[in-house]
This record gives sequence, structure tokens and C-alpha cells, in this order.
Amino acid sequence: MGRDGQLRRPLPGVRTVVCLALLAGGLAAAAGLGLFSGGGGRPGGLGAIGDFLAHAVHPSLVSEAPAPFGGGSLLPDLLAGVRETVVFAAAGLALAMLLGLPLGLLGSSALSADGGSRAGRTVRTGLRLLARGFASAVRSVHELVWAVLFLAALGRSDAAAVAALALPYAGNIAKVFAELIDEAPRAAGLALRAAGAPAAPAFAIGVLPRLFPDLVSFLFYEFECLLRSSAVLGFFGFPTLGYLLAGSFENLYHGEVWTYLFALLALLLLVEGTGAAVRRRLGP
Amino acid sequence: MSTDTAIRALRRARPRSRFLRATLLAALSLAAWSLLRVAAGSEEFLSARQRANLGRFFADARPAPLAGRDFDAGVAARWAGEVLSSRGLPAAAATLGIAAAAAVLAALLGLLFALPAARTLWTPSPWLAPTGPPGRAVRFAFGATGSLARALLALLRGLPDYALAFLLVAAVGPVPWAAVLALALPNAGVLGRLFAETAENLPPAAPAALRAGGAGRMAIAVAVLLPAALPRLLLYFFYRFDTCVRGATVLGMLGIFSLGYCFEEARARHRTDELLLLVAVAAVLTLLLDALSAAARSAVRRS
Repeated sequence: MGRDGQLRRPLPGVRTVVCLALLAGGLAAAAGLGLFSGGGGRPGGLGAIGDFLAHAVHPSLVSEAPAPFGGGSLLPDLLAGVRETVVFAAAGLALAMLLGLPLGLLGSSALSADGGSRAGRTVRTGLRLLARGFASAVRSVHELVWAVLFLAALGRSDAAAVAALALPYAGNIAKVFAELIDEAPRAAGLALRAAGAPAAPAFAIGVLPRLFPDLVSFLFYEFECLLRSSAVLGFFGFPTLGYLLAGSFENLYHGEVWTYLFALLALLLLVEGTGAAVRRRLGP
Repeated sequence: MSTDTAIRALRRARPRSRFLRATLLAALSLAAWSLLRVAAGSEEFLSARQRANLGRFFADARPAPLAGRDFDAGVAARWAGEVLSSRGLPAAAATLGIAAAAAVLAALLGLLFALPAARTLWTPSPWLAPTGPPGRAVRFAFGATGSLARALLALLRGLPDYALAFLLVAAVGPVPWAAVLALALPNAGVLGRLFAETAENLPPAAPAALRAGGAGRMAIAVAVLLPAALPRLLLYFFYRFDTCVRGATVLGMLGIFSLGYCFEEARARHRTDELLLLVAVAAVLTLLLDALSAAARSAVRRS
């Protein structure tokens, strides 16, 4: 479908070539990894996966540990895990926005749109390239790799873990915010500038409102991703849901595992639902 | 003065939403509470212990053959070449392979699930007014399978790839399949939903015409939906491919051979210099593939 909403004739050419190349690439990669020839590992492990899947329909709300330790309610652990997952994700998003939004503004064309002296333009262009480069650089390293680096450099620290989460997401936010600014209709902002408004109010009134709904949807989506990342941070010893997941996985308490997974899923659906409701009320 | 009153009247009459205000307040309080909690739970920034750690980290970051010597570009280059050829490049190739296999598998699974998940397609009489009243059982069957497919996609989307890989590695060992499946399943959830939404948002004229000519669901899906939605599907595919490359790197930390495996191995040997070099390889690989997929996206958009 074209962007004008009209059906087009399916063209052979770029799309066909891209599709065939993708299929061939996927097959070649699978063959190269030995996926078709005994790359399946221990076949006995399939039983464990079956047991895991079977527990999806009856998650357990009590501890599955054997007699002297088990039987207690899972709820206190579950609530603490959910709380810490939310805390790490929300703190990460707050930091990421504090860093990413100004960086996105710097990296957009908003600041280098109009005249000024030649030296001023050069400085602004330089700043823009610097901001974009920095955003790409922090984005190119996964948050868990940042976490490993911070663990190695600083030792275990909750603040360092949150900073590790925040860095790549700040890069994402900067990139998308800059793109939203660059793609937003400019007419209103230019008219305000022509009428003598200074750059900052012209931007805030003429450009920002048009991209605000999209920015908010995107931030909700980032919060979902951060919740997942924050949960996984638990596998590295931080007190989020992943910590509980790892413990239950290792002991094969699959009912507990599903309880934690469903809790994470409920959290994600809640954020997704809130995001959709907010988006509806913000208009097109 | 009358302008001021008019402005004030306009301001009073602006649309307001209690829901939006409540959400904003909740978001701000959540952010403040979380930041304070993390700050309270951490020792002071750059405590003595952290400064000592940091000092050791940067001392170890110097390539090992250069320890205690002046910087020598030749020695550094030989060291980097050795690390790259023995681990960096094979691991980068494995990462790329896992990501490619996972992304293609995710796209195929996503396409399959998108059919029952697309509300416009998966009804007793898609795109046409029903000729006769369909039985209650038929309507129920379509509704139930459609909801089931959407719920399954939501479940897959919600699974963190790292947790899934943790389970698979525990069950079958650190084989490439574990990483490929752990990346493919959540991404199939994402792509399936996006594919289904794309199919739902297509203009109804063409499928309705085919339907009136007697075409079945599969015929419409293959002859109309797929070609019309293909550019959008490819755009989504490339976005997810980028995610898969990052994911494939990280899943190596669970013992599957990829760049992450080499990170863990270097860290276990306290070789910070190799760790940083390998992280740089991963970053460059990600940036290169980002650029490649951006180029592919714009080629598809122009086509």
C-alpha cells in the first residue's frame, strides 16, 4: 500500500529481491549455525520444556519448595519483585528522558534552521552532529552490556544499574525525538518566527504540540521495554522480577515461574492500555 | 483589557481531561519516588570502594602487552588483531547468524499468526455482508480462535528474550537453537500483531471485490493482503532485525556462542582490555547493521 492509501500493483524488483535475499539469508544463517543438523542440544531437555509449558495453565501462588521451606505464600515476594521492577524502570525512564530529550533537541534541525553568523551556524551544525553521534553510540550498546560494564567498573550498585538502563534508552529517545521534530510540519513555527517570535516560544507553541501525542505514545512504549529490561536485570542479582525468575527456573518450580511471568505480562498490558487511553485523549 | 478577558475565556474553555491530569500526576510521582528510592538504596556516588574499582578498571583497560610500557601502536595493533581474529570476528559472525535466522523465523511465525489475529479477515464472512445468518457456533469458533491468537501474540510479546533463553539453555544446553528460539518467539509476537494491524488497516475495496468473485480467505491473503502490505511488513521486519542483533549479542552471556559469550569469558578472566575491545566490536556491528537496515528501509519505501 502506498502512503496515499491506494492499492498499488505489486512490483517485482526491489521488494521481491529483498524478500528472497532475506529468506536465503535466514536459511544460510540457520545452516551455518548447524540448526538443521543435530544442533538441538540435549533432546532429554525437551521434557523440561514440556513441563514448563504445561504449567502455563496453573501458575502457583504458593512456594513450590520442598516441605520445610515450601508451602508459604508467594505474594510478598511477588509484590516486592513487581515494585522493584517498576522502580528500576521508572527511574531509568526518568533519567533517560532528562538526558535524551535535550539531546534530541540538540540533534534535530530545530536549532540550526535559520541564519545567524557563519561561525554560529558551524557551531550549531557541529553540536548537532555531536549529539547524534553520542545518541547512536550509547544506543549501539545493549543495556545489559552497559550493566556488565558498570558492574565491572564500579562494583554492584543500584544507581549504576539504573544508569546502565537509562543510557541506551536516552539514545533511543534522542533519536526518535529528533526525527519527530524534523518530520513535524514547520509552517506554524516559521510563521511565528516571521512575526517576530523568539526561537524558543516559536518552537514550543508552533512545533511541539504537533508532535506531542506521538512523543507520548513513544515514551509509553519505551516504558514497556524498560519494564522488560528492568525485569531481566534481576538475572544479574538486582532485586527485580528476574531475580525471582532465575531462582524458580533453577529449581524447576515452573508454577512459580509462570506466576512471575504473568505478573510481568499484566504490568506490560497495564502500561500498554494506559498509553492507548492517553493517546486517544490527546487527539490525532 | 477585553483581549485579556477573551484570552482568559478561551483558556477556561480549553478541553481538559481528568484522566490525563491524573495520569500525568501519577507518572511524575512514580518517577520522583523511584529516583529517590534508588538514590536512597545506593551508597554515595563514587564512594571510596567505587573509586578503587574504577581505578583498577581503567588500569586494566590498557591492552595487556602494553602493561608497564610506553604506548606502542604496533604492539597494540598486533594485540587487537589477535583478539579479533581468535574471538571477535567469529563471534560477530555467530551473532549475525543467530539474529538473521531468528528474525526470518519470527517473520514467518508472525505471518502465520497474523491471519487468525486480523479481525477483518478472521470472521465468518470477511469484507462482505453475510448472505445468510451464520450459525452461532461458526461465529463463536471464529471469535474464539481469533481472540486466542491475539492473546498468544500478547503473551509472546511479553516474554523477555533473556528469560526465555535462560529456560532453553537450562533445558537443552547452550546451543544456537536456544538463542534463535528465544529471539524468534517474542519477535513473532511483535511482528504478528503489527502484521495483523496492517492487514486490518488496508482499504477494503480490493479484498471485497475478490470475495464477491468467490475467493477464499487464503486466496485473498496471498493475492491482496500480502502484496499490499509488503512494504510495511518489510519496514517492521528491519526494525525487529536490529533488535535481534542486539539480543543475539546479549544472549551469548548465557553461554551460547556469540559476542556476549566472549564478553563473559573476558570478564571471568578479568581481561578488561579484551572486554572493551569486544564491546566495541559489538557496537560497530550494531551501527553497521542499523545503517544497512536503514538503507534497506528507504529502498523499500521508494519502491
